[in-house]
Amino acid sequence: MSAAFAIDIFFKLLAALPVTLEVWSLSVVIGAFLAMGLTWMRVSGSFVLSTIARAYVFVFRGSPLLIQLFIIYYGLASFAFVRQSFAWPLLRNAFACATLSLALCTAAYSSEIFRGALAGVPPGQIEAARACGMSGFKLFRRIIFPIALRQALPAYSSEVISMTKSSALVSLVTLWDLTSVALKIRNDTFVTYTPLLIAGAMYFALNALVARAFAFVEYRLSGHLRPRAT
Amino acid sequence: MTGEVSAISVVNLRKRFGNHEVLKGVSLEAHEGDVISILGSSGSGKSTFLRCINLLETPDDGVVTVAGETIVMRRTATGKAIAADHRQVDRIRSQLGMVFQSFNLWSHMTILENLIEGPIHVQKRPRAECVEEARALLEKVGIGDKAAAYPSQLSGGQQQRAAIARALAMRPKVMLFDEPTSALDPELVGEVLRVMRGLAEEGRTMLIVTHEMAFARDVSSRVMFLHQGVVDVIGPPEELFGDCRSERFKKFVSGATHARAGQPSL
Amino acid sequence: MTGLDVFGFGEGGWGLSFLAGAAMTVLVSAAALLFGAVIGALAAWGRLSGNKAAGALSVGFSAIFRGVPELLVVYFVYFGSSALLTAIGNAMGVTGFIGMPAFLAGVLAVGVISGAYQGEVYRGGYLAVARGEIEAAQAIGMSRFLSFRRIIAPQVLRFAIPGLGNLWQMALKDSSLISVTGLAELMRVSQVGAASSHRPFAFYIGGCALYLIVTSITNRLFDAAERHATRGLKQQTSER
Repeated sequence: MSAAFAIDIFFKLLAALPVTLEVWSLSVVIGAFLAMGLTWMRVSGSFVLSTIARAYVFVFRGSPLLIQLFIIYYGLASFAFVRQSFAWPLLRNAFACATLSLALCTAAYSSEIFRGALAGVPPGQIEAARACGMSGFKLFRRIIFPIALRQALPAYSSEVISMTKSSALVSLVTLWDLTSVALKIRNDTFVTYTPLLIAGAMYFALNALVARAFAFVEYRLSGHLRPRAT
Repeated sequence: MTGEVSAISVVNLRKRFGNHEVLKGVSLEAHEGDVISILGSSGSGKSTFLRCINLLETPDDGVVTVAGETIVMRRTATGKAIAADHRQVDRIRSQLGMVFQSFNLWSHMTILENLIEGPIHVQKRPRAECVEEARALLEKVGIGDKAAAYPSQLSGGQQQRAAIARALAMRPKVMLFDEPTSALDPELVGEVLRVMRGLAEEGRTMLIVTHEMAFARDVSSRVMFLHQGVVDVIGPPEELFGDCRSERFKKFVSGATHARAGQPSL
Repeated sequence: MTGLDVFGFGEGGWGLSFLAGAAMTVLVSAAALLFGAVIGALAAWGRLSGNKAAGALSVGFSAIFRGVPELLVVYFVYFGSSALLTAIGNAMGVTGFIGMPAFLAGVLAVGVISGAYQGEVYRGGYLAVARGEIEAAQAIGMSRFLSFRRIIAPQVLRFAIPGLGNLWQMALKDSSLISVTGLAELMRVSQVGAASSHRPFAFYIGGCALYLIVTSITNRLFDAAERHATRGLKQQTSER
């Protein structure tokens, strides 16, 4: 194992990083919006909406992501009506399927995090806001959301990290992400550990960056909890 | 009332935490039947002194002898003092009953299970005997009906009485009390002091770190006053609470009684 | 075969295979969780022992196995353990390739990841045990081993159960990744069935449904265990 060889592997993997990053970032963002919708359904007070949301969360949190991925990628394509629908150009694309599946999955976990964060807003502070005449969207935007956001950050950071790890699964639906390229290098060169180790290190580095970013945001948002400089 | 058999002998105990020397050579001779109240302001080292006797804190210097058996110490490579034989420490601890300020009942066990845990697993006594004795002890301290309850379901006073019963269940030679009523609401202090008074009148050997002046005065055979890590004065309560030769102690008592209006009567 | 026949137990029916796959999934997940418990206890002990080297090792282990994709770990363990076995075999004079059984590779991979998380759960549980209760055990003369067995361990487990429930769910889902090794657990059975019958949707939905059933049943069990374990803890009663 010469250094030049290892470096060559490194750059091959680096070339696959954009695919991983694209799938990951798109699914996180889409998933976050879906999650907000789900959370809204859960706290809406409507029994029907709430039950649908609960069922959704149960299904997507209770089953492995891999099988969800296969249902969307292989399963949907087997239906004639899907192949003839307007959505087909999207759904026949592996990237779109993978991103959709990851987004649906993270939406379930994220909505539970958001729900917990909302519930964690001290009722006394909401009461105080109502007492001075705030209500509706203003109450949400000025009081509830900022507090809930701070509560959600630690758990949500874990979820985003979980998503980078889950993104490796897209290698099993024909996408050329870090993992599939690492395996290809192994197949081509019979070198097993180096590509896997380097790919692992890249995922690890990505996660470390995510954790740092979240820690920074948490720090900036929690100035009110730190003692003032006198 | 007190015999001459030595129950606990402490000679020249020293203990430092970091750079701060908390005990600067404290000695005490407790005989069978002695009830010794240990008083002092916070920082005087009284709790540390008590905890050194059953080695919950390790003294840096000095000799502790319990019921004639001296705890063997040795020094580590760095010069720190530690107990030489941990089995000896365990054995001696099982002969001492300790009651803590925060009760420290085991929260995952019922009251009865708390009482029989030591006798069965440390003293290896038969279960039936331990259960019977435990029930009798719970009756004695007045919570016989709480045997199947969990500690979280009892009031503070009840928990402390259960803790006293747990210590008694080990049939200890000496009972050590570390500020037993300091964590209790005022109206619950009396019931615990009553139990302790009963034990004293039975002739038990007791060492009590406490802030309860009236109790110390009325129930003790001797009172020891610690100040900044040394024994300021020690003697029978009539002597100390009467015309005491130590100005410091007189100031301590008056400061304490002013702060505590309406002490619970026994 | 009509829609639901394919799940039946008759001729050409996949019902039995599905159930066998589900059983294998539960088995490999449980084995992984147990293996993870040993690893987790070691990791927690390393962190809590005060020994700098052990602590650093434990932190590093935890960071790595919680920070890399589970799929990579499965591949790594699967390829790596076979290579290791072959090397050991060669050193002992056995020629040829020795493959690591997929089951063991799967248990090792999922188990070591679970262990990294379990270490955190046990450490948190240990820190939550009241110092005073440990002191009371010492004061009564219990040896270190006895106080650990009777006082500390039961309480750590009690605090750990909610976290362990989550980790069991995680192990169940991670076990689906072992399908890449060819082990005949539920995911693989669904895959094979989907391919051979050209009915991917039915088979994957069927597999998914079975995962959900296993999840529900085990959820109930963990809830019951949690209720039993917290029976003595502070209750929110208001007596006055």
